Amino acid sequence: MPDVPVVRVGPLPGAAASSRHRYNPPVQTRACDSDGGCETSIFLCELNELFSGAVRSGGEEAFLQEALELGMRAVGGDRAFLALVEQSTGDLVVVKTAGLGWTPETARLRLSLAKESERGITGHVVMTAKPYRTGDVTGDPYYLPYFRDVLSEIAVPICGTSGQSVGVINVESALSHRFTEEHEHRLVAVAHATAAALRVQGFRARESALIEIGNNLTTTLDIDTLMQKVLAVAADMLRFEDCTVFLADDANEYLVLTASGGSLANRRGETPYRVGEGITGWVAEHGVSVRLAEPQRDPRWKGLCLEFPEEDIGALLAVPIVGRKRVLGVLRVVRRKSPTAWFSNAFSEGEERVLNTIGRQLGAAIENVRSYERLITAERMAAWGELSARAAHMIGNRTFALKGDLNELAYLLSQKPCEEIRDEIQELSHSMARGVERLEEILREFRDFVVATQISLAPCDVNALLRETVEEIFPRRSPVKLTLQLAPDLPLLRCDARKLKRAFGEIIENSLSFQPDGGELEVSTCMMSPEAMLGLGLGQSRQHVAIEFADAGPGIAPDQKERVFQPFHTTRAKGMGLGLSIVKGIVEAHQGTVREIGTQGQGARFVVCLPMEHGTHETDRE
Amino acid sequence: MALILVVDDEDEVRASLKRRLVREGYTVVTADSAEDAANKIRMSEEPFDAVVTDMCMEEADSGLEVLRHAVARDLFTEVIVLTAYGNVSNAVESMRRGAFDYLEKNVPGVDTYEVLVMKVAQALERRRAAIRTVRRLEERAAQQSGSGTA
Repeated sequence: MPDVPVVRVGPLPGAAASSRHRYNPPVQTRACDSDGGCETSIFLCELNELFSGAVRSGGEEAFLQEALELGMRAVGGDRAFLALVEQSTGDLVVVKTAGLGWTPETARLRLSLAKESERGITGHVVMTAKPYRTGDVTGDPYYLPYFRDVLSEIAVPICGTSGQSVGVINVESALSHRFTEEHEHRLVAVAHATAAALRVQGFRARESALIEIGNNLTTTLDIDTLMQKVLAVAADMLRFEDCTVFLADDANEYLVLTASGGSLANRRGETPYRVGEGITGWVAEHGVSVRLAEPQRDPRWKGLCLEFPEEDIGALLAVPIVGRKRVLGVLRVVRRKSPTAWFSNAFSEGEERVLNTIGRQLGAAIENVRSYERLITAERMAAWGELSARAAHMIGNRTFALKGDLNELAYLLSQKPCEEIRDEIQELSHSMARGVERLEEILREFRDFVVATQISLAPCDVNALLRETVEEIFPRRSPVKLTLQLAPDLPLLRCDARKLKRAFGEIIENSLSFQPDGGELEVSTCMMSPEAMLGLGLGQSRQHVAIEFADAGPGIAPDQKERVFQPFHTTRAKGMGLGLSIVKGIVEAHQGTVREIGTQGQGARFVVCLPMEHGTHETDRE
Repeated sequence: MALILVVDDEDEVRASLKRRLVREGYTVVTADSAEDAANKIRMSEEPFDAVVTDMCMEEADSGLEVLRHAVARDLFTEVIVLTAYGNVSNAVESMRRGAFDYLEKNVPGVDTYEVLVMKVAQALERRRAAIRTVRRLEERAAQQSGSGTA
C-alpha cells in the first residue's frame, strides 16, 4: 500500500489548443500541498480546460475520461469511476474508470438502485443528488465493498437540468480521512463540467436528428415511408417506449391510427378516437400539446387505445400535427412507469418542445404530400379529358364512314336484285368490317393508355433495360446507325420495367419511322447534374437519371414540341398517334418528365428524366 | 349539274360524302384541309355552288375559315357545316357568318347522309333564287338606264 499517491504533473493532454491558459508549473515529483492532491492554481487551470472541452464537439468519450482523471487527481484519490444512469432501466452503469485495480468485470459494473440495501454510497448519492464523503468506510452505513483496500470514499452527483442525478463520480482512497471539504468542492466542480458536456452532447444529438427529420420530410413523397422515418429518428432522440401517429379523417371527426412504433401496428386504419375524445382527441381538438406524468389520473383520460396496459403507463406526451390551417392529427409517445421510485420517467419540457417541432414539421410534410397528390390527380384528369375529347372526335368520324357504307348498301339493295350487285355488296361488307376494326383500334389505344399509367415498381438496371429494348425493337439490318452511350455506374432505379420498355420502344420506333432511308440514333444515359435539372425545371430535392434519344431525322418544329405528346396527334403514316402520349403517360406515372429538346432540321432529341426515389405508391390494379 | 366542294380531314368521310352526292348527280371536288379548300376555291374555273365542310380539322374552327374563303369568291355560295359532336358556339358563329346550315354527323338513329342531301337541295334552290333575283335587278337597272336617258 503506497503512502503517497502518485500524481501526474503538467497540463492535461489536449489542452494544447487553448494556449492562453497554458500554465507550465515547475516540474516536481511531488506536487502536493499539505492536504495531498495538486495545487489549487493548477487545478483551476485544468478545470478551465475541462470546461472549454465540455462544449467542443466530438470526443465525448475522451472528455469523460479526462474529467474523471482530473477529478481523481484533484482530490488525491487512488481509484475512481464515472457512472451514468441508464435511462431505460434506472440502473447505474460504470462508463469510465481511472486509477489502479480495475478488472474487466469491475469496470463494467452495473448498480441496480431498486433495493435500498444494495445501493451503497454511490447509489445513495445518485438518489439524494447530494455529495457524500466518508473518511472511514468500515463504519459507514452506506458502504458496499468492491475493493478491499478502500478506506476513504467520496462521491458527487452529476446533475441534469431538472436537478435529478444523471450520474455520479466516485473516488476512493486507501488512506483514511483523505478527502476534505475543499476536495468535495473540487469534485463537484468537475461534476458540473461533466453535466454541462452531457447536456451539450444531448442538444447536438437532437439538432442532428431534427435536421435529419427535416431532410426526410422534404424529400419523401409517400406518407407511409415518411411516418416510419420520422418515428425512427424521434425514437432515437427522445427515448420512449412507443409512439403512435393519428391523423384526422377528411370530415375531421375521427382520428385514424396511421402509424405505430410497434405495439399498435396491427391496428392501423382503426379509428379509436373521436376528435375531442380522450387526451389524444383533446390534443386534436385544441391543437395544444399535453405532457403528463400520470395520464391515467387526468380527467380527460379514456384509455381507449393504449400501447401497453393502463397500469404500466408512466408518462404520456402528445403533440398536435399542425398544418397550415388546421390540426391534421396527433403524435403521441409513451413511457412505462419507472422501475425505481426515485427515478422519474416523466417527459421534460425540453422534450415536449422537440416533439412539438417534429409535429409541426410532420404537418408541413403531410400537406406537401397531399398537395402533390392532388396535383398529380388533376394533371391525370386533364390528360384523360384531352384523350377523351380527341377520341370522341375520331370515333365520330369512323362511325360516320360506317353509316355511309350502310346508306349505300340500303340504296343498292333497293335498286337492284342481289345477284346483280353481289360484288358491290361484297366490297361494302369489307369496307364496313374495316370500319369496325378501326373503331376497335381506338378502344385498344384507350385501354393501353389506362394500363400504361398503372405501374408496379421494382428496382432495375436502366442500362440493361435499354439494351434489351434495342435488342427487341431495332431491326437487324437497318439503315439507321445506332450508338449506345450508357453511363457505367447508374444506381438501380425503382420502376416498372415492362412499361418503361414500352415507352423506350415507342420513342425508338418513332425515330426509325422518321428516318426510313437511313440516319442515326444515339441512346445515352447519365445522372443529371443540378444545372441540367434546373434547366429542365425539375425540383432539386431528388436525384434524376436522364435517358436521351437523339436522331438525325427532320426534328420537331418549336410549336409542335408539346403537341407531339398529345393524344391522337400524328404525322406518321402508320399508327393512330397515341404512341407518344402513352410514353408521356408512362413516364409521368413514374413521376418523371419527357421533353423534346432538339432543333428542327437537325434531328429530334427526346429526354426522359426519372427520379431515383419515389413518392406516392402506384400499384398494379390489373 | 351543280358543282360541290367537300372538305374533311378524314379520308373515309370524304369518300362516303362524295359517293352519296355523286349518286344525286352532282359534280364533287374534295379537299382535305381548310388550306386545301382555300386553294381549290381560288383555282376553280367556276365558283362552287355549294360547299360541305367539317368544322374541326387542323383547328377547332377550320370550318369558319372555309366559309370565309367560299363567300369571298362568290357571295352566294351556300356552305353547310358538319361536325362530329355538337359545339354550340361554333354553330351559332357559322350561322352568323352566313352558312346555310349546321349538321351533326352522329345523331343516333338519324341518317345524316339523307338529311345532308335534302339540305344541299334546299341550299342550291336558295342559291338559284338569289341569283335569279340579282339577275332581274341587273336587267331592270340596265333597262332603266337604257331607256331613261335625257
